[in-house]
Amino acid sequence: MADALLKVTDVCAGYGRGDIIHEVSLEAHAGQIATIIGPNGAGKSTVIKTIAGVLRRRTGSIIVDGQEIGGLGASDVARRGVSFVPQEANVFRQLTVTENLQMGAWTDRANYSERLARVHGLFPVLKERATTRAGNLSGGQRQMVAFGMALMVDPQVLLLDEPSAGLSPVMVEQMFDTVREVNATGIAVLMVEQNAIQALRISHHGYVMAAGQIVLADNAANLLDNEEVSELYLGTRA
Amino acid sequence: MNMQLFVNGIVNAALIAPPAIAFSLLFGVMRFPNFAIGGYITAGAFAAYAFNVQLGLPLLASAVAAMALTGFIVWLSDIIVFKPMRGHGPVTLLVVSIALTLILEHIIRIIYSAEVRGFDIPLQRPVKFAGIRITYEQMDIIALALAVAVATHLLLRFTNIGKAMRATADNPVLAEVRGINTGLVIGFTWLFCGALFGLTGVLAGLDLVIEPLLGWNLTIPIFAAAILGGIGSPYGAMLGAVMVGMAEELTVLVLPSSYKVGVGFMIIAVLLLARPHGLLGQPEIRK
Amino acid sequence: MSAYLISMATYVGFFMILAIALNLQWGMTGMVNFGIAGFYALGAYSSGLLTVKAGWPVGFAMPAAAVVGIAAGALVALLSIRLREDFLAIVTLGFGELIRLIALNEDEITEGPRGLKIDARPFADMFDRTTYPIVYLAMVLAVVALAFFIAERIRRSPMGRSLRAIREDDVVAEVLGKNVLRHRVQVFAIGAGFMGAAGALYAHYVQNISPEVFMPMVAIFIWMSVIVGGAGNNWGLLLGAGIVMAILEGSRFMGDFIDFLDAEKLSAIRVILIGVLLIIILRVRPRGLMPEPRFRYGRSPGGGSSTADAQS
Repeated sequence: MADALLKVTDVCAGYGRGDIIHEVSLEAHAGQIATIIGPNGAGKSTVIKTIAGVLRRRTGSIIVDGQEIGGLGASDVARRGVSFVPQEANVFRQLTVTENLQMGAWTDRANYSERLARVHGLFPVLKERATTRAGNLSGGQRQMVAFGMALMVDPQVLLLDEPSAGLSPVMVEQMFDTVREVNATGIAVLMVEQNAIQALRISHHGYVMAAGQIVLADNAANLLDNEEVSELYLGTRA
Repeated sequence: MNMQLFVNGIVNAALIAPPAIAFSLLFGVMRFPNFAIGGYITAGAFAAYAFNVQLGLPLLASAVAAMALTGFIVWLSDIIVFKPMRGHGPVTLLVVSIALTLILEHIIRIIYSAEVRGFDIPLQRPVKFAGIRITYEQMDIIALALAVAVATHLLLRFTNIGKAMRATADNPVLAEVRGINTGLVIGFTWLFCGALFGLTGVLAGLDLVIEPLLGWNLTIPIFAAAILGGIGSPYGAMLGAVMVGMAEELTVLVLPSSYKVGVGFMIIAVLLLARPHGLLGQPEIRK
Repeated sequence: MSAYLISMATYVGFFMILAIALNLQWGMTGMVNFGIAGFYALGAYSSGLLTVKAGWPVGFAMPAAAVVGIAAGALVALLSIRLREDFLAIVTLGFGELIRLIALNEDEITEGPRGLKIDARPFADMFDRTTYPIVYLAMVLAVVALAFFIAERIRRSPMGRSLRAIREDDVVAEVLGKNVLRHRVQVFAIGAGFMGAAGALYAHYVQNISPEVFMPMVAIFIWMSVIVGGAGNNWGLLLGAGIVMAILEGSRFMGDFIDFLDAEKLSAIRVILIGVLLIIILRVRPRGLMPEPRFRYGRSPGGGSSTADAQS
């Protein structure tokens, strides 16, 4: 297998004095989807925020396409081709839908109209509501804006924090289809999901987190078959 | 007579609008009411005075130079005073900003004393039209305020830096995530707002007199306009400025004119009571 | 010289009362008041006018000034109780300016900028001219002690506990079922009453009050006292008030050494000095020289200190 596009090694991070995640190591490959699952409070979101630079890592290394990005701030990480979709507060509420997408293209304004057309192709409703303030959209539409923004650059790595949170079952299905579609263009996707079964079904790799550590890493298919995992983390959701 | 009050109200509004817009923009990204605006405006007026009267530049050139200098001073005040204190609560920053306005005002007092001054401009007869009296300076003030409003609108709507300012005010973390260098955006916001405070100093110096308390006396009406418009909303600030400006002049009908400052306060009090988020502002989610 | 010291100590006393009052309002409940000068002026003019124009005996006028302060404080607090703290700052500042404007403009009553001359002084006929300043100082210190005692009582009472809960997080306090609004209004009013009393003491001490004394600057001196001492700590602010006065007065002597500065410039330098110091202290010691002892209330099971303390 080719070298991982995103390689996280022994990363510790947290808020205040304590660490929330301890020596986390994981990888995401071009054209593949990796998913982190685990109970609430396991530190899944913290991992993804740390990679995105929203939170600075304390120790360990984060390498994207051969370059160390650990220690960089979020805007610098974004310029290295990492596109992050936060779970909450992930749109500019006072800006229109189109302005949001323009902000998405901040680091790379080349091919703007092509990319806009692509995002409109993925989410036609964003074209219809182009001049609506994002704050006035429904939750599902906001999620599309957030996702669309991240696709306004050609990211190497796409980080998704609970992309299905707050969506109706139909929308969840749609969202995962879109993730797969985007991934097929060669982007490495790393996502954190509560909706473990559905997420693992579209994933190549899975990581199970508990208490700030990765306790299991395997093929997504193997994880789905793993009895212990399904009992502990998938059962409640099935 | 009442038409005259109306005209006075418009002039007054034109004086308040640019700083109210600037105050609102600044609040949007910094999240605390900056009381130092009084000091900034006074600094702008005296900078223009220095260029115009002491160095003998024409007023227009002096105004531009004063805007640049004030923009720089305001930006510098962020670098020296506020930037090292990011993350402190709004009250701490507010106390700091009051201290800063006192420092600026009293530096000016040391240099220029409390003497009342004016620009070196030829005295012109006011224009009289249908019994209404308006000076050329007042017409300039109205024109410039309109220009500032339009320019700010264009900046915020159609330029990348303007959109980045709105994005940063809206959601600074997301702005960073999208690759916006919010530090630069914040620096630009201080500079831009500083230039507007400088302009206000010039305009206020034209309409009123130049003295160390010039900016302080405008502070409450500016706050009133910004709060009335929904603090953090520059368009609301324009609307708020018109309402406060008119209200201040129209109270002359019922109250002595020396209570003008009080009117601004009364507006704030009544308004905050009825609508704690202002006219156009959106409720903030309290943490 | 000793007359000078007694006079300085008296002024420190006024500052201490104001600082104790602000500490009640802000240090303990987090309610911001920048209208200190307004309440101070209200007390001064109330007592002054009641003796001069209404002929009240000073022994009634001075307590009445405190009552006026309480009433005004309750009114302001009731009006603005739901405001965010930064808006409250603007409203109270506006209140202070309004009071000053009234004092300035209603000159048929207040004598405006000419100043109101007040002859009445408490217990004046019982002492001779040399001992009276000491007696006055003792009275001021008695009020300081009373205010201090009341503030400490409030701080230690169940109400004080819930007040600090309000300060840390008023949503939590509401959930805890504390009667947030009532406590806030009460404390703000008590603080304003102290300020009114301080104003009355000041008025009968200087015997000539004019609006220019009650500039918003007063608020900054008092904020400085509380911040230097350590918000929430009543002992600390006594120290803070002393330090602020020492700076204000100490810089007065600079004029003796630097002769090219006139009085106007000197007073400007004094203000600049205070401002710079205030900024530096807030930056390097945001919790003051004598920080409030850490106080804990129903911490969340997740642990972690409250956000208010996260700054350091």
